[in-house]
Amino acid sequence: MLAALMRSLMFRLLSQPLRLPAFLGPAARPDDPQIFRFNGERAGIISDVVRRVAQHYAGQPERLLYLLNEAGNAEIRRLASQGDLEASDALGDWRRLIKRLGKMGEEERRGALRDIVGRMAGDIAGNFDVRVYGLATKIIPGLLTAIMSPGDMPRQLLSGFRSLDERILAEGPIEKLRRLAKIGTLVLVPTHSSNLDSVALGYVLMREQLPPVVYGAGKNLFSNPLLSFFMHNLGAYQIDRRITAQLYKEVLKTYSCMMIERGYHSLFFPGGTRSRSGLVERRLKLGLAGTGVEAFARNQARGISRPVYFVPATLNYALVLEAETLIEDHLKGAGQSRYIIDDDESSRAEAWFKFFAKLRQLKSAMVLRFGEPLDPFCNPVDDEGRSLAPSGRTVDPASYVKFHGVATVDPARDAGYTRELGDAIAREYQRCTVILWTQLVAHVLYRQLVAQTPELDLFGRQRVRGATMPRAQLVAEVGEARDRLLGFAAAGRVHVGPVLQSQPPDHIVDEALTAWSGYHTRPAASAKGNDIVIEDPNLLLFYQNRLVPFAEDLATADTLTAARTIAALGGRA
Amino acid sequence: MSGAAGKVGVVGGGAFGWGLAHAARRAGREVLLWSRRPQREAVAGITLVGLRELAAADLIFFAVPSPVLPELARELGEHLDGAHYLVHVSRGIVGDELMTLSQVLRSATPCRRVGALAGPLVAGALERGEPGGGVIASRFPEVHTAVREAIGGKQLRIYSSDDVIGAEFASTAVGLMAMAVAYAQGIGLGPATLAVMASRGMAECTRIGVQLGGRAETFAGLAGNGDLLAAVAGDGRPELAVGRELAAGTLLADIRRQGGAYVEGIESARRIAAYARRTGARAPLVSLCADVFDRKIGSAEVVEALMSRQVGGE
Repeated sequence: MLAALMRSLMFRLLSQPLRLPAFLGPAARPDDPQIFRFNGERAGIISDVVRRVAQHYAGQPERLLYLLNEAGNAEIRRLASQGDLEASDALGDWRRLIKRLGKMGEEERRGALRDIVGRMAGDIAGNFDVRVYGLATKIIPGLLTAIMSPGDMPRQLLSGFRSLDERILAEGPIEKLRRLAKIGTLVLVPTHSSNLDSVALGYVLMREQLPPVVYGAGKNLFSNPLLSFFMHNLGAYQIDRRITAQLYKEVLKTYSCMMIERGYHSLFFPGGTRSRSGLVERRLKLGLAGTGVEAFARNQARGISRPVYFVPATLNYALVLEAETLIEDHLKGAGQSRYIIDDDESSRAEAWFKFFAKLRQLKSAMVLRFGEPLDPFCNPVDDEGRSLAPSGRTVDPASYVKFHGVATVDPARDAGYTRELGDAIAREYQRCTVILWTQLVAHVLYRQLVAQTPELDLFGRQRVRGATMPRAQLVAEVGEARDRLLGFAAAGRVHVGPVLQSQPPDHIVDEALTAWSGYHTRPAASAKGNDIVIEDPNLLLFYQNRLVPFAEDLATADTLTAARTIAALGGRA
Repeated sequence: MSGAAGKVGVVGGGAFGWGLAHAARRAGREVLLWSRRPQREAVAGITLVGLRELAAADLIFFAVPSPVLPELARELGEHLDGAHYLVHVSRGIVGDELMTLSQVLRSATPCRRVGALAGPLVAGALERGEPGGGVIASRFPEVHTAVREAIGGKQLRIYSSDDVIGAEFASTAVGLMAMAVAYAQGIGLGPATLAVMASRGMAECTRIGVQLGGRAETFAGLAGNGDLLAAVAGDGRPELAVGRELAAGTLLADIRRQGGAYVEGIESARRIAAYARRTGARAPLVSLCADVFDRKIGSAEVVEALMSRQVGGE
């Protein structure tokens, strides 16, 4: 009874934002990132969101009526199907609004809009507690080390958690990013593989002395109390993907735009959801990340010349926490319809422990690679943050938002820039992908499976169990493919993880088999005598999909036909 | 932007460049035209200028063959910034990955607001101001407006589209299909054979265009089938002359000398055929065109090759 009470109390404490009076914490210094001042600015930001959305509909009574009507009906549908206690209060409010909407005068409707936007923005707006941030910088490395390797804690404490640094690597122009963070606003746009991404990114930013970022997290993620505690207090704002009302999307965009305008470094996953297939995202719509373009234009129009830098990054895992669920969802063709998966591995505590326990056996289990930063118009920038034309000369980013010499705000124009940026970020993803050993071994094994089953289509092939490949052949083909990959890396087409760079092919194969055994329900493949047996073609497909753009170039004459089948899964690099 | 607002720039002093310059002049715009070898004298309202002086224009048309476009774009790009709008009128693609020319403009210059002017626009008709129409494809609505204001009017209807890749690839496909149709006419094939060839050829190009990111409806519109209709009706475009010369057995080198750069269709056919082979896309007719243009297949074997393919659903 007492234990249950304690658990409930703990849950409530962890799942609420800490809003302690500011004077209890340290005051922000001038060179601290903007996020350190967030709690002081929070109310002002919400009222600015309300003002801007209301302004958007000023003098347009027809559009306002449509907007409120659409929002009301969408929310009534959603809340009625949700059917819980929390929903019933809100449901009553929306029903009353819809009933009265036709009789309301214009001023009353504007008042209703302000109320609704205020509520929505209040629900979205996050929280940042400097004390929690300070605590996190001290305890997270220890926490992660303790989970991954409890017996190793004392030694790790003395060595400053070096073993964690060996497992989670960060690469790319990090020094340059530190400088840019002081000159302008960073908009991080990484690939999305796992619910672990934001945690891993947050940790790397902290370790590399890069500033913390604000980011939108699905409301479903806040149901995990530990994640919820850190997300609530380290700048995450809530996105409720169940709400389909147009007005909600507008409030979300306005909030996100306003944060970038005010200089808050931000993080978005432009792919939208976690990559179900394991493929690096190739077509990006950018979504909320596009508000970085608008924020730049709005600032320019107000005479504020603070630059915005988009920073592509790839998160590359040797093992993905939710691999089984994601690939299954992909093969069902349900990737988009099951936009929110709330029953995958990341929702189960034991899966997290098992996953971290596995990580401790692996070197460089995760590599986060930052790409070259871009201005909002796809131009690379130099170390001083100046935009560069293809010839290398500097170009004024303000020229892209000027009309006859005057900076303007133009949503249609900015939609065009956003599409351009989506293409540019996707290209940078290809270049800054880091190929890891599990992915290469999976690719060679899957290529063999394809070669053995020429008559089958993708779905038929995924049902094949027990196909084998002689170990000696696997080792030879992994060696050949690895050498080619190193050539591509030297040419700047891709990056290669440390295990692939330094280990002989038979060790690479052993490392992959070790990584797969014991974490997933069934290993992707395992050794039996002199053969390697393919046990789970779905997992193999998932891990090898990172190599799809390189499939043809990695193949020899003997394996080219199978490689072409694989390449058809997703195009070339 | 540094220059005066409202000026229109044209890169290229060939028939199409002058056609665009006259169309803009008729719309009341001051035109700056650059040509490596100006073949005509400047006229009132159309000034011949150095390449860098084109930076004084808001909107710059590239009316040059695709092989020379990248170098000129790089050179001019040195003097441009994000405020300039660039639009090309070429029918061509570059490299193994079938890069379109708007992509070349983006990668060679700092300009992002780029577009492609496609459809049944012919140099002579543009210059004379005959009724007609075209499509301006760009992701930026302000480019649509700028082009419409610069050359559009009562006699020239300029439709807009945001499917840039679709319009550019459709335009390229029409270039090669126009040559193929003229070739087929030249070797004596009848209207029904031409229809099969043209419509199936466009269907193949549509499939590849969609694979590259374009939309199928663009191929069915003015930039695709509409443009091909004008070619088949005999609008006098240079690709038709090249097709007829090929049918007559003229050597490629001689055609190149006569037809200047309008042998782009031959290069496009080769590139599309190679791309289709590599990616497993079905494009037997385009591959046949490439082989015919390269003289790997003679006119006597064309009909058999064309008609012996397996028939399936359309």
